[in-house]
Amino acid sequence: MAPVRRFLLRLLSFFRSGRAEAELAREIHAHLQLLEDDFLAQGMSPAEARSAARRAFGGVEQVKEHQRDARSFRWLDCWWLDCKLGARMLVKYPGLTLVGGVGMAVAIAIGAVFAATAATVDAKLPMEEPESIVAIEVWDTAVNDQERRILHDFVTWREELRSVETLGAYRSGRRNLIVPGGPAELVEVAEMTASGFQMTRVPPLLGRPLVEADERKEAPPVIVIGYGMWRTHFASDPKVVGREVRLGNAVHTVVGVMPEGFAFPMYHRMWTPFRADPLSYERRQGPGIFVFGRLAPGFTLEDAQAELTAFGQRMAAASPQTHERLRPRAMAYTYQLFDDMEGWEVAAAQILVLLLLVVVCANVAILVYARTVTRLGEITVRNTLGASRHRIVGQLFMEALVLAVVAAAVGLAIADLALMKLDSILRGATGGLMPYWIHLGLSFETVAYALGLAILAAVIVGVVPGLQATGRRLQLRLNELGGSTSLRLGRTWNALIVIQVAFSVALLPAALSMAWQSVWYGVAKPGFAAEEFLTFYLTMEREAPPSAQAETYRREYTARFGHLQAELMRRLEAEPGVSGVTYAYTLPGDERTVWIEIEGVTPPTEAEAQAESPSGYGVRAGSGAGHEVRFGKVGEDFFDVIGVPILAGRRFYSGDLKAGENAVIVNRILVQSFFGGRGAGDVIGRRIRYVGRGGDAGPEDVELGRWYEIVGVVENLPANPIEPGLAEAKLYHPAAPGQLLPVCLAVRVRGAAPETLAGRLREITTSLDSTLRLHEISALDEVYRETRRGLYMGALALAIVTLSVVLLSSAGIYALMSFTVSQRRREIGIRTALGADAGQLLRSIFSRAAGQLAIGVLVGLAAAAAVEKLTRGGLMNGNGVVLLPAVAALMTAVGLLASVGAARRGLRVQPTEALREQ
Amino acid sequence: MSSEDERIELLQGTLDLIVLRALSTMGPLHAYALATRLAQVSDHPLSLNQGTLYPALVRLEQKGWIEGAWQKTENNRDAKFYSITQSGEQELARQTERWRRLAGLVDKLLLES
Repeated sequence: MAPVRRFLLRLLSFFRSGRAEAELAREIHAHLQLLEDDFLAQGMSPAEARSAARRAFGGVEQVKEHQRDARSFRWLDCWWLDCKLGARMLVKYPGLTLVGGVGMAVAIAIGAVFAATAATVDAKLPMEEPESIVAIEVWDTAVNDQERRILHDFVTWREELRSVETLGAYRSGRRNLIVPGGPAELVEVAEMTASGFQMTRVPPLLGRPLVEADERKEAPPVIVIGYGMWRTHFASDPKVVGREVRLGNAVHTVVGVMPEGFAFPMYHRMWTPFRADPLSYERRQGPGIFVFGRLAPGFTLEDAQAELTAFGQRMAAASPQTHERLRPRAMAYTYQLFDDMEGWEVAAAQILVLLLLVVVCANVAILVYARTVTRLGEITVRNTLGASRHRIVGQLFMEALVLAVVAAAVGLAIADLALMKLDSILRGATGGLMPYWIHLGLSFETVAYALGLAILAAVIVGVVPGLQATGRRLQLRLNELGGSTSLRLGRTWNALIVIQVAFSVALLPAALSMAWQSVWYGVAKPGFAAEEFLTFYLTMEREAPPSAQAETYRREYTARFGHLQAELMRRLEAEPGVSGVTYAYTLPGDERTVWIEIEGVTPPTEAEAQAESPSGYGVRAGSGAGHEVRFGKVGEDFFDVIGVPILAGRRFYSGDLKAGENAVIVNRILVQSFFGGRGAGDVIGRRIRYVGRGGDAGPEDVELGRWYEIVGVVENLPANPIEPGLAEAKLYHPAAPGQLLPVCLAVRVRGAAPETLAGRLREITTSLDSTLRLHEISALDEVYRETRRGLYMGALALAIVTLSVVLLSSAGIYALMSFTVSQRRREIGIRTALGADAGQLLRSIFSRAAGQLAIGVLVGLAAAAAVEKLTRGGLMNGNGVVLLPAVAALMTAVGLLASVGAARRGLRVQPTEALREQ
Repeated sequence: MSSEDERIELLQGTLDLIVLRALSTMGPLHAYALATRLAQVSDHPLSLNQGTLYPALVRLEQKGWIEGAWQKTENNRDAKFYSITQSGEQELARQTERWRRLAGLVDKLLLES
């Protein structure tokens, strides 16, 4: 007990040292008095008695020190003292605190965001032995993409693979869920093999998981629901097992409820048995599936890969038509989200982050070094009084650590905010369907990582200048106290300032250009009454019919979907307040990429085309030797309903919908860009054809080589009235109901907020057909706002980083100038005494900073020009001619401004003072 | 023999034992009285700077073996009087026993040789 009690009291004494000190002083005073009394009684004079008492007692300060050692933890005291000193330094040098703190905070924030994001790659599935769960994919080297139609292979793996057990598969899809008494709702359902539940080893909360018997065709349809679903849709009914729900057209019986937090395989809340029958499909036909399994005991991922590779080779030899270019591969389950990312990319990013921090810290270190030099007197005195070098460097480290920890706290707060935003943007972008094991936010590891960065920063900022300042025979400096110093800023640091200026000059133009664009996009209005539209995507449940019936099924499906779409539009139009309903393949602004050729005009070469418009997707099919444009498919009355004026020619009419008709409508910017300054009216009747298709457009979307005739020209949509050059060249095809799937519908609502129609829309759709699905119901201007939010975030982050770099560069230049001036005080003093004029002096002071600035600016300009050339003007959007000189001028101005303070101090040096100091 | 050699080496722990013993036999004492008592016992008035006591006192107090309270001395001076606590008495008994055994052992060893 006693040692514990003592430990606690020592700790307590650290926090209440004031009281203990007072008590000790009082006790020693009493002790001395008693001693004195005794010596007086022995016949000494008062003075003799006092000094005899002191002698008998021993050194008072020493006794106090020893008592403190026993009473408290001295190292804690020292540490605390250094902390307080560090905090005082923060207040005493606010400029350094602000500049250094902001720089480090930004660097640490970037590091923390990176760490938190990178952690998602290695995130563990919340289940037993998550590291043994693997995903198996098949890579098609012919198209460089996944091949998911692998039902046949899956069946073979299930029988043959020895290194992976409880092999399972799922496919995921949105289905309309109708719980008796509730409205239809679109939910993501996993059709999963029973082995999925076995493999995760997570027992159900209620009832049972899916079992193999459920997978038989004739088995009654059953469903397992997730915890959240059970809470919200069944009011946590303990007797939910046995109740019925409808998924699409089929009634399913609930057989189990999974516990909270379970959403395997991705983000699922409902599971139905996997019933795809491989026998009814050809190889590489049928539904796309995802395959997973658990490594068998004693087997590694490499074993699984070896087995799969052997399988792949065997299959390639046996059925070369289907399998020659297929490469099956196994990976850690969570890696399937990042299968395009190599390990070295993460490592490289990590190194970049660290480099950024080191650069920032090196800057702050220069500033701290400059400050340390001004404190050399204090340091030398302390050293002479007995403080060890170790102790002094320790103190400088603590001072830096205080700054770094404050910066880390600010950085973490920024990171937390950024991650929260990022998480909500991601969740928004994925429609809430984020893999269930991923939560972007500050974790314990991230905080630890940031603190690690802070310590690293403190070492660079505190220890390095500390060692340098205390390194060379400190004692000899006593005679230099208060005067100039013989310390020099090393070559490395001079080089660092040059690099920094160069870096700023190289980076700023691109950053400015990007920020500029983001802002323009952000404030631009779409050019039509987006706030009056409710938009949503409509699809219909689709089965994967056996290969033999696929074509018939497709025809029937399209006809039925077309009919239902038309009916839905008719009913919506009848709603009060609705002034029009139309449809398109995508939302205005999301059109897909193609390359076109204009009849009678030599198309640009691929290189020219890239220079013309380098921002689009790569060419997926055909050739990129053409003009890059976007294409849309729209309903007949699309432009009328949206309210886009026809500038020339005509709108679509029903005759255009017939097979073999070739009418297209183009927008104004397309005419301006590719028809050599002709007016809109001059292009009617001209023909264009597709030569290439982008990665975002499917093969069924465009027919390469077919000629289309321009029948009309419309205003740009969405328009960009502020920067018309930012509008994209587009062309539109007419499409009949049923031809587009999914189809994006736009309902124009007058006199009320468009969102108010959403409820009615759901009711009408459910009553029409329970297999119809609604996605992404949203007011159109809200969609645009969402897009802009991401752009704002990006621009903001970029602006902060750029600002920090500029700030740090100017701080570095300022430190350098202060140095130069303090080193040359004597010389300046003598020159002033000899009558040198202020201009001459200023010139000589500025020359060094100006030299470094000039080298930095030149190197930066060269780098920027090189990057600009490499990206063919992409980074600066062709504004390099204006931006580069502007940035160079800005950096020079900032650098010179940073020098002014120091230079003025130099001019104020009094000759007598400067000389006396020597 | 120099006076240095004659000094009784007060090993860590021995001082604690002596202080506890003094408080146990003499009742509450202030630091000065304790120091005087130690000097008497050791027969060497200069063997110990009186201030040396303070770390030991705070150590014993923190362990809960002694406790201090401000009182008046017979000369009407303020002084902090230390008294031994119950757990201090127990500790004294334990340490005395240990010391005796150790001393006996050393004695035996010295006699044998």
